[in-house]
Amino acid sequence: MNAIEIKNLTKNYGEKQALSGLTMTVPMGSIYGFIGENGSGKSTTEKIICGLLHPTSGQVKLYDKDYTDIDIRASIGVLIESPGCYPNYSVWNNIMLQATNLHLDNKEDEVRKVLKLVRMEGAASNKFKNCSLGMKQRIGIAMALLGNPKLLVLDEPINGLDADGMRIMREILTDITKDQKCTILISSHILGELEKIATHYGIIRGGKMIVEMTADELDKSCPTFIALKSKNMTKTKELLSKKYSKVLEDEQKEYLRVYDAQKAEDVVKYLYDNQIIVTEIKTDKIGLEEYYINLMNNKEVK
Amino acid sequence: MEQKSELNFESPTFLTRIKGMLSVDFYRLFHTPLFYIFLAIAAIIPAMILGMTSIENPQGVVEPLYTNTWQVIAAESPLYIVSNIAEYANMNMVFIFGGIMVSIFIGHDYKSGYVKQLFTTHPKKQDYMMSKTVICAFAMACMCITYLFGTILSGLFVGASFSVNVGSLICAILGKIIMSLGWASLYVFLNIIFRKYFAISIASSFFFGTGILIIGAAAILGNSGILNIFLYGSSVYACLSSNILTIITCLIVSISWSVIYNILGTHILNKSDVY
Repeated sequence: MNAIEIKNLTKNYGEKQALSGLTMTVPMGSIYGFIGENGSGKSTTEKIICGLLHPTSGQVKLYDKDYTDIDIRASIGVLIESPGCYPNYSVWNNIMLQATNLHLDNKEDEVRKVLKLVRMEGAASNKFKNCSLGMKQRIGIAMALLGNPKLLVLDEPINGLDADGMRIMREILTDITKDQKCTILISSHILGELEKIATHYGIIRGGKMIVEMTADELDKSCPTFIALKSKNMTKTKELLSKKYSKVLEDEQKEYLRVYDAQKAEDVVKYLYDNQIIVTEIKTDKIGLEEYYINLMNNKEVK
Repeated sequence: MEQKSELNFESPTFLTRIKGMLSVDFYRLFHTPLFYIFLAIAAIIPAMILGMTSIENPQGVVEPLYTNTWQVIAAESPLYIVSNIAEYANMNMVFIFGGIMVSIFIGHDYKSGYVKQLFTTHPKKQDYMMSKTVICAFAMACMCITYLFGTILSGLFVGASFSVNVGSLICAILGKIIMSLGWASLYVFLNIIFRKYFAISIASSFFFGTGILIIGAAAILGNSGILNIFLYGSSVYACLSSNILTIITCLIVSISWSVIYNILGTHILNKSDVY
């Protein structure tokens, strides 16, 4: 059984088509990284899953049931863009209101538990409007985690979080998928962070899913290369291009990348023989971010 | 299959859902300064009407517009066509201010993004309509009560007469309080339609609260009992010559309009994007 199964989903805003036949499968227990440019349809998809928008056509199923099913909906935790809180109420009261909405039995204990999880116990009495952006995101996560949800839909949850906040968020999300058998659909532009936790990926463009893959598949799709620096990069590139078929500069133009070399020592020896001294060399692999950028720019991705 | 059996989705009953929603809304109502501000406004209105209104008689002498305190609660008889301000300025004004309060109350749900959280876990839009209608009716009923207290105090202060048929007065007050439910449902409905446009929702509440449409209809139909089926008509019907029939009429009209507006509002929320 899949946690989310979407088939041929379309959504029109007047003349504008936000989703054009999106098909997507989120396996149960996965952390699904949902990636795409601004305006690609990520938030629209998430809002439809959460029942905030009506699809123009298509099918959305959550745990094999229609997405509007009342049983399913009470088991969804969401953080769409920012948490929906009353600015003049305290953090505690805002989370308590959500606990009441969820008909939780031990509201106070539950609120204490989620506040502890997001390390916000000390700020419970603060007014929501006085919280920093990072704190607000944590409150949003706390609200989403109330009542042990089976499905978490998180839209840009790590926006505004500092390095420690991101680490905490990573730990929380990884833990709840293990302990609570929770499935997480998470969209973020911070791909480096996403890469550390996601087990599955879906890349959307122009309202259509262009790639869906597991983290292992991504790993296999990302080519390894030898990155090197020398004192004369122009001549080095010229020389390497004669021997190897794919030699490229990296984005920052700091390193030369040789994609089809088997061993680093072969490259060093070849350059040394041609009076080029290699100052730095390493074997590396393209990551999610680069994979995504290449895909978006229609560059070759193995 | 093993995984499927481990997933238990609880189905909250209607009572559990509405209880949760009402708890949140009552909490919000009692914890928003807005509610107390409008209660104070409702109490001040009669003082302003009694103490500050006057009219010049044909002899050129300036006299108070109201000589009897209870005229500030309701008109002497159900006059649907407003021919002078004294017929209009009574407890019905609570419903105009109540409309603005409802707009702000519901507007906050959307402005704060609270509805995102709410509608994700509560797919039944009828619960939202019902809860908001009940809360807003309660708030307006409270405003009617503070208006009554304000009226009594003002009457004592300016020394206006208190002579009245007590039975009719009670029927009139109860009738108007009952009408809070109908008015609340109308305002909730209007605010659902204009939920994305805060200023328009306030303007629409004010427009409908003043009963401009029904006054226009009354100008054509005349002082007809048929207007009692409308909210404004029934509010006017609850006057100082009221009897038990007035209360029954107000009850039927109020409940009928609540049901109609709740069904329409639920339909709109079900068929359109909520956020």
